[in-house]
Amino acid sequence: MAMPSTNPATYTGFSALKLIGTALLPFALALVVAGVVLAMAGHNPFDVYRLLALESFGSSKRIAATMAAATPLIFTGLGTAVAFRAGAFNVGVEGCVSIGGLAAAYVGFTFVTLPAALLLPFAMLAAALAGLAWMIIPGLLKARLDADEVVTTLMMNFIAVAIATWLVNGPLLAVGSANSATPMVAEAARLPRLMRGSTLNAGFLIALICVLLYWLWGKRTALGFETRLAGMSPRFATATGMNVPRLVLKMMLLSGALGGIAGGTHALGNVYRYVDGFSPGYGFVGIAVALLGRGNAWGILMAAILFGALSTSGATIQLFSDVPIEIVDILQGMVMIFAVARFGALGRKAA
Amino acid sequence: MTQSLALKAGEARVRLGARGITRRFGALTANDQIDFSARPGTIHAIVGGNGAGKSTLMRILQGMDQPDEGSIIVNDSAVTLSGPAEAFRLGIGMVHQEFMLVNQLTMLENLILAREPVSSLGVIDRAAALKAGQDLAERAGVTLNWHQRVQDAPVHARQILEILRLLYRGADVLILDEPTAVLAPQQIRDLLVLLQRLRDDGRTILFISHKLGEVMAISDDITVIRTGRVITSGPADETSKAQLAVQMTGEMVRAVTPRRAREGDTVLSITGLGLTDGRGIRRLSGIDLSVAAGEIVALAGISGNGQDELVEAITGLSSISEGNVALRYHDVTGMSLHQRRALGLAYLSPDRAHEGLCLEASITDNVIAGHHRRAEFLASGLLRLKAIRAHAEAQLDRFGVRRDSAALPVSSLSGGNQQRVAIARELDGSPALLIACQPTRGVDIHGIAAIHQCLLEYRDAGGAVLLVSEELEEIMTLADRITVLFNGAVRGTLRRGEADVESIGRLMLGEDA
Repeated sequence: MAMPSTNPATYTGFSALKLIGTALLPFALALVVAGVVLAMAGHNPFDVYRLLALESFGSSKRIAATMAAATPLIFTGLGTAVAFRAGAFNVGVEGCVSIGGLAAAYVGFTFVTLPAALLLPFAMLAAALAGLAWMIIPGLLKARLDADEVVTTLMMNFIAVAIATWLVNGPLLAVGSANSATPMVAEAARLPRLMRGSTLNAGFLIALICVLLYWLWGKRTALGFETRLAGMSPRFATATGMNVPRLVLKMMLLSGALGGIAGGTHALGNVYRYVDGFSPGYGFVGIAVALLGRGNAWGILMAAILFGALSTSGATIQLFSDVPIEIVDILQGMVMIFAVARFGALGRKAA
Repeated sequence: MTQSLALKAGEARVRLGARGITRRFGALTANDQIDFSARPGTIHAIVGGNGAGKSTLMRILQGMDQPDEGSIIVNDSAVTLSGPAEAFRLGIGMVHQEFMLVNQLTMLENLILAREPVSSLGVIDRAAALKAGQDLAERAGVTLNWHQRVQDAPVHARQILEILRLLYRGADVLILDEPTAVLAPQQIRDLLVLLQRLRDDGRTILFISHKLGEVMAISDDITVIRTGRVITSGPADETSKAQLAVQMTGEMVRAVTPRRAREGDTVLSITGLGLTDGRGIRRLSGIDLSVAAGEIVALAGISGNGQDELVEAITGLSSISEGNVALRYHDVTGMSLHQRRALGLAYLSPDRAHEGLCLEASITDNVIAGHHRRAEFLASGLLRLKAIRAHAEAQLDRFGVRRDSAALPVSSLSGGNQQRVAIARELDGSPALLIACQPTRGVDIHGIAAIHQCLLEYRDAGGAVLLVSEELEEIMTLADRITVLFNGAVRGTLRRGEADVESIGRLMLGEDA
């Protein structure tokens, strides 16, 4: 007889408690493994972890730094998640971050006569549209020809970074500058800071709004409903009359737009221009954020903050201890590995 | 081989059996104190409806699952099977409902797979392999095209190959799970002859089925299970079809009484439809077919004779090479499935697990999918969840879906209830035409009657039904007209009353009625 699936992780995962459990378990395992590495290297893991916690959440200033670091990851996490939801494994958000950042910077240093009320939205819109446009080719290839989006979007990343590098070394290079960067954007194009002495800016608020919209989209909109079904079972979605290729294309474009916005907020909120090496892998960490957050709005927010905390504390931990910064990279890598593992499968096998 | 058979079977009284096997899944007891004994050199039938616990028992006998209590008996002694390999070592092999063959390899390559005869140079000895295959086929009294790829071979040949493969590997206990489900009547008869021949050779066969005619025809012993328990077990000549049916279901099942409805307007009309696939193979040719309101037209045929392609052409899931499809006098030939649905098409998929339902999604989601953009469920871009839930509950009640909560995934339901969820969705919004493919596949006997009733009520209310089924009995029960497909073309059409199993069977094999 046909047995109902006995994997509780998948189906009762709607409860918040369970979600926290599945999101925290990979993190806890990563802490254990990295703790062993630390101990073998002669460090007391508890001391190191306390230091990490203090450096990321120890004061309002450190919390602000963590949130600032989480901001681009929230966008890239959401961007990756909308494509995942439609069943497309889009790893091209990283390229959209670069293209979006460049577009925002270009608008920001070109239309300098516009007032802030126009220039800032214009620059952000440019970032979103540039990211969206960057996904048209892989999106169409996937929707029309069923080309593997993992390959195409990964390749598009290299092209994006190479194009941006060429532009900032040539046509868009700041006059008198030798360091592969565009001119600085106008004051009016900059995202306002939220706290004195911190890089936390209005981009974080936009990110929170996006989390809310993502939640609403998934729970309450017809498009979100269709995307969810198409992602779980494309044949079913097709048979009930949905246009699955078009849905996938739409979500790839939305994914690109969110990646573009990530680049836009980074350009207009932190660096105020586009420089070579603009994104330290925000798009790739976004994949881990989406996986760790299990595609859930609040899970993604938590995961982005977690990775934000790791990166802020990693940056300063070297100043206060002899712990190498690589330990933070090890921790990040471990979290990603365990985030990909489906722990529900263990219970299923035992049943 | 004869010698090894004798060694394995020995003088045992029980070649394969169960003693008090119990298997629980949570609150559900799938097998409850199961006892049976298959004597060597006999055909032992295990009979039961869907959900009776047959599959669980077979998995245990194969070592794919472990019982919570009780033990498996092999040659009179209790054994523990660690897996199918261990079962095989004891001479026990199984033919699954879904064949375990490599489609891209030839029949012969599949036969010898993982047990290839190898020459002294380490190269596969094809001559020896072919000889082994031919010997096996000859002894079994069958002929196979050994050099044909499995994907090009007809279903019954694949099934025979599965059986021969077990023999090739030295199994003398064959477990066959619903082996006749995919065969035409004449092929079923051939298979039953083959099984009897294998039995007379001294092999032991465990025959799992719910088709009582076949069971009575070839079994030496019959064990009936229902809701995980053995109801009765004994010689076949001490029971009857009627008695088995009662034991299987626990009560007399009321037969569906078909009513003759008055036919209305033509709802579906297909003219000159043909399809040549991407590899240049002719899949459908010159098909003319129409279905009127208040009429059930059945499409019969051995699977793989163009039914799937025709259904895809009618639904718009794939495009066609020539001809026209019209729905309520609208030419829909170039339209998408979505557009055809808007014109009143409903489609009950034959593949419930992957197309008819989204198993991971909730019951409510499965009922509402495709209807979710109706004005009553969508207000300014947002889904009205309350209205959706209320509507889903009403539909589920109407179609008698037994459930805990509609928020649970649809996979938590039994096969019959899953199918009712799909039917509830498809008959929502009173469509003009229902394409019902294998509507009762994997559904137990009560579920079948209820689903048949749904289809008849829909027809009597003026609905048009194109029924595609591999169950001849179902077609005979429901259809007003029967069209038989053979080799991608209409072989013949019979009206209710002039159709009998024999004549349909001949048409299915490409002969004249």
